[in-house]
Amino acid sequence: MGDEKIIHGKKNIILNIAAIGVLVALLFPLYWIVVTSLKTEQEIFRIPPTLFPEMINLKSYAAQLDSGDFNMFRSFANSMIIAMGSMILAVVLAVPASYGIAKYKFKGRRIMLLGFMVTQMLPVSVLLTPMFIMFRNIHAYNTPFAAILADATIGIPFSVLILKNYFASIPKELEEAAYIDGCNRFTAFIKVLIPIAKPGVIVCAIFSFLYAWGDLAYGMTFIIDQQKRPITAGIFNFMGQYGTKWSYLTAFAVVTIIPVALIFIFMQKYIISGMTSGAVKG
Amino acid sequence: MVRIKKFFRYDNIGLVFVLPAFIYMLVFVGYPILNNIVLSFQDVTVKNLAGGVKEFVGLKNYIEIFHDDVFIHAIYNTLIFTVSCLVVQFIIGFALAVFFNQNFGFSKVIRGLLMMPWMIPITVTALIFKFIFGTDVGILNFALQSLGLIQENVEWLTTPGTAMLAVVFANIWIGIPFNMILIATGLTTIPQELYESASIDGAGKIQKFIRITVPLLRPTIESVLILGFIYTFKVFDLVYVMTSGGPVNSTHMLSTYSYKLSFEMFKYSKGSAVANVLFLILLVVSMFYLKTTTKEEA
Repeated sequence: MGDEKIIHGKKNIILNIAAIGVLVALLFPLYWIVVTSLKTEQEIFRIPPTLFPEMINLKSYAAQLDSGDFNMFRSFANSMIIAMGSMILAVVLAVPASYGIAKYKFKGRRIMLLGFMVTQMLPVSVLLTPMFIMFRNIHAYNTPFAAILADATIGIPFSVLILKNYFASIPKELEEAAYIDGCNRFTAFIKVLIPIAKPGVIVCAIFSFLYAWGDLAYGMTFIIDQQKRPITAGIFNFMGQYGTKWSYLTAFAVVTIIPVALIFIFMQKYIISGMTSGAVKG
Repeated sequence: MVRIKKFFRYDNIGLVFVLPAFIYMLVFVGYPILNNIVLSFQDVTVKNLAGGVKEFVGLKNYIEIFHDDVFIHAIYNTLIFTVSCLVVQFIIGFALAVFFNQNFGFSKVIRGLLMMPWMIPITVTALIFKFIFGTDVGILNFALQSLGLIQENVEWLTTPGTAMLAVVFANIWIGIPFNMILIATGLTTIPQELYESASIDGAGKIQKFIRITVPLLRPTIESVLILGFIYTFKVFDLVYVMTSGGPVNSTHMLSTYSYKLSFEMFKYSKGSAVANVLFLILLVVSMFYLKTTTKEEA
């Protein structure tokens, strides 16, 4: 069904309307959370519910600027530090590793590859207690480093498996030309191969960031102080304490989605490529 | 020295590139996996967690969890949850993939937008559905009442049976884009000529679907289902945020129960044992996946 011919006329209109129907139905929950965050607490509980806020109310966001235990902007900054740190760590380690796996047939290569694949399927539950003990022993517990180190273990195997395909597809001649120009293996890798594999590196960076940004289990287990916790753990805490303060909760949720939405809007092609190549080819 | 040089002359130089990442994974994943197995045979409490003597108790933790109703129920819940999510999200995802594979005006743009639910942090998704399924505040109860399907508000998340329904529903919402995009990619690999020659032979749409699409899509379908199983079976964030395993343990999954044992009841060893059971099941399923994917790797 690959390149089916372009549909015109009446059928085109009907299909477009149906598609918009699907879109509205599936994305309604997202719309709902955004409009709710702009309502007052009273309006949220009104029956029948209003599909659009009577008056745009930014209080739920503004209230967060006062420092309290649940300052969402501080949680946001914490998450940013954790996600960026974990992304950098994952990319720095995974890019050379994927090149090594793609281009060299050393002993133990297959077992390492298998190792990366298996870790991708691990449930966090298996790692939580041992990591908890380890981070306490190395004094990383209750610091952003604990979450950064733990989150990178999700980004690294994903990135290695994705990027390996990019490096494998680069013809050997390009590398050999670099050697003739006086590069050694390491400079050729940095000056020639990485720039060619750049789209792949971007995919890895995005996904490593997103994994860490969305993480809850590591962030809430290894970081105890609310002031240091990532935004996902902040939401969870807030729910526990102020259960039904939906105006604040939805504002919290919207702030959490913003970076994801920006990445989504500007880098959609990388995301789809990452999802499909990562999952199907493994 | 010469030997070292010789070792790094050709292919083994690849090790220099791979080792940093590999060692990192050994330290932060490999060691914890082994450590978790050891922990599950010990008796670890808050007192001896970080240091001190951890007594070996043999299979005691495993024997206890298999006599624990909540654990048995969690296995059953995880299976029900996984299978119901897989079936529904696969069918909807497949239908949408076929639908958006038609080349009409905004097909690709809209399909792109539908990926959004898969991307947002699961904690947020859980919050959204907790809100939608809310008893007094939830729009679902309002909609069902308006349609006359229910007389009074249903307490979705605080009633054992319906709470499971709500978490399944939320997880399907996350899973649809994943299924759709993978199947859509699979569809593009089917050569168009096959359909054309089938048309010439007089095949109808349904026949083409059954005779061409499904068989040629088999590898894709297999990996979508196995991967879907793995991702769904280890669900944690969604259930933990939406219900925390409640009401009365009715939505506990293996992952959430393991978490509760370790980090709420501080029975670390029992929690580890539950996690190992979860891991073992996933490992067996992963074998199927690795078998299909590693063939082409070598």
